[in-house]
Amino acid sequence: MRNTASRVRLAAAVTAVASIAVLAGCSSSSGNSGSSSAASSCAPAKGKVTLQYWNTVPGMDKVVALWNKQNPNIQVQTKNISNDQYGTISNALKAGSAPDLAQVGYDELPNLRTQSAFVDASKCSAATAAQSKFVPWTWSQTSFGNTGVFAFPQDTGPMALYVRSDIFAKYHLPVPKTWDEYASDAQKLHSADKNLTMTFFDPNNAEWFNGLLWQNSATMYAYSNNKWQVSVDSAKSRQVADYWQKLIDEKVVRTDLANGSTQMYAAYQKNQIASYVGAAWGYSMFRDNLPSQSGKWSIVPMPTWGTSAASGDWGGSTVAFMKGSKHLYESVKFNAWLNTDPQALALENKLGGLYPAATAGLKMQSLSQGVPYYNNEKIFDVFAESSKNIDTSFAWGPTQKTVNLSLQDAMAKAAAGKGTLSGALSTAQATALKSMKDLAIPAEAAGK
Amino acid sequence: MSNLTAGRRSASRESLASRTAVMALMLVLMVYFLLPVYFLIVAATKPQGDLAATNGLAFSHFNLFSNLHTLFTRSDGIFLKWALNSVIYAVLGAGVGTLISALCGYALAKFRFRGREFLFSVVLGGVLVPTTALALPLFLLFSSIGLVNTYWAVFLPSIVSPFGVYLARIFASAAVPEELLESARLDGAGEFRTFFSVASRLMAPSLVTIFLFQFVAIWNNFFLPMVMLQKESLFPVTLGLFEWNGQTARAPLLQESVITGSLVSIVPVIIVFVLLQRFWRTGLAAGSLK
Repeated sequence: MRNTASRVRLAAAVTAVASIAVLAGCSSSSGNSGSSSAASSCAPAKGKVTLQYWNTVPGMDKVVALWNKQNPNIQVQTKNISNDQYGTISNALKAGSAPDLAQVGYDELPNLRTQSAFVDASKCSAATAAQSKFVPWTWSQTSFGNTGVFAFPQDTGPMALYVRSDIFAKYHLPVPKTWDEYASDAQKLHSADKNLTMTFFDPNNAEWFNGLLWQNSATMYAYSNNKWQVSVDSAKSRQVADYWQKLIDEKVVRTDLANGSTQMYAAYQKNQIASYVGAAWGYSMFRDNLPSQSGKWSIVPMPTWGTSAASGDWGGSTVAFMKGSKHLYESVKFNAWLNTDPQALALENKLGGLYPAATAGLKMQSLSQGVPYYNNEKIFDVFAESSKNIDTSFAWGPTQKTVNLSLQDAMAKAAAGKGTLSGALSTAQATALKSMKDLAIPAEAAGK
Repeated sequence: MSNLTAGRRSASRESLASRTAVMALMLVLMVYFLLPVYFLIVAATKPQGDLAATNGLAFSHFNLFSNLHTLFTRSDGIFLKWALNSVIYAVLGAGVGTLISALCGYALAKFRFRGREFLFSVVLGGVLVPTTALALPLFLLFSSIGLVNTYWAVFLPSIVSPFGVYLARIFASAAVPEELLESARLDGAGEFRTFFSVASRLMAPSLVTIFLFQFVAIWNNFFLPMVMLQKESLFPVTLGLFEWNGQTARAPLLQESVITGSLVSIVPVIIVFVLLQRFWRTGLAAGSLK
């Protein structure tokens, strides 16, 4: 933690000037839409062009091969950067050898933007025209609230509840609709069988917890008065934290499992856990790692806090326009095809398991059929519905990774009995303010 | 008489006790070293679904052949390409590396020239520098001459082995008598002829040792290719498996291929060891005489 902080401080000197410049641009861009009229820099190139595209998606080379066959004049080269995705990108940025397009997670966009990693593609009419093709919240994050077009959304992780319907049936419990019902079911299950818990709380997974906060519209950041307004610690986020704290205190959820770990699958295999709060991309994890439980799982909407449906997102990525690209026009063209063309989306879904951010993608054949593992239920209808119910005003901060680490550290301590989850939120809030101050990014605690 | 028997009995009991202790220690060590390999074999025979669900050290559904089929057909058979690359890097690299080490070590052992001991010290110093530390400087060097992302980027650094030179010198001075070299020269053989027809034959067991060292080092090398290579088609097995492993979060079924691939990737090393083990032991013994 201290290591990260000092590295951040070291980087501060380098990036401070740049970030101020960016933020100045950010704050004034609403009145300064004239900057997007510089159409000259979106001119198509003469002759053959080669684009570099870095990503972490399995099978993406096949998708790109399809494009290359159809577009002899815009050839794309891919590089897989699964191991150390952001390290590779940030090194390339420092070396001035960034690719034309790179895969960037939604929560990393603000951080890279403060490093001036992106180019605004809104000067290309094809880029702004793409807005209508994507699920609303994804566009609001890649355009930073319509201040430009810095990336196209690629995939998302709308959240839902995976339930072992056989276990729920055995104890005569209906599927929980609200978090209150979920908690009381958790107590019933655990008192009926000491080895059985409702789910597990992974304290080392801030991304997952952020998804839960998102569902409750516990906005963590906003931008106004030329400053970042930090509200990591708020009444809404405390509601979520206190809820899970109670379940942890009552020991009706486990805290000893890491998401996706062998231990986690083993616990599910031994019928010790009755549900899983997960995202769309998780469906293949259960199908492939727990084949013997085929037919026992169902996917239902997330339990809600109030009466109206709301959901959060966990994971997913964008394909960003990187600074230094000499072929913006072609990059936009390829990026649009990659993320909205039904054929490309279908292939990405099949080979890479991507759950598309494009609305057209949600209607694709493979996502409108019943899935055998899940009792032939149309599970993707649940995710599509979840996708629609995701709050579009939720935004990530420019030091999200640092804040996530701090939150995880504090949550892990809370899970071990030192402190509480709401205490972890206030730690994370302090880290958010401090890390931005270290980078000379103007920020303040949001007025409560 | 009875005293004598008692003494003998206690002595034999002692030796039995110490023998048991040694055997027990060996057994523990054997288990310690073989357990990971055993796990790998077991895991490679399981379908993905059994990896987390069943005991890691017990066999379940036997699925090895279908795993192998998936492994070799995944992404148009890229694994076979990686395996081939590893063989090219390791066999050629170790072969050329051994030749260079042998020539160098032989020269240092058998020729008297100014600065010989200094040169040898420099080579010895090279042994102390870990190859990992050299990877980044090499990358900068290679990138300025445009060799990055080619076969050469991995091959060229692989043929240099200070430890091989050190071993070759010791072996050469131990195994090649001066008299023999002199008579070869008297018979009219040039220096290269002397080396290849006389000295290298005598050094053969030790050369196998150097070859094995180099082969294993290059086969297991991971950091250098990772720094040098971007193109998947140039990857050795180690780097390819690492890349797959990084994608298991999105494609869970890759995990089984990583495990099966790891098992397949240790097979050549085992084969080379079993075949050359005889020479290896002679070579080491020759070295220890010095």
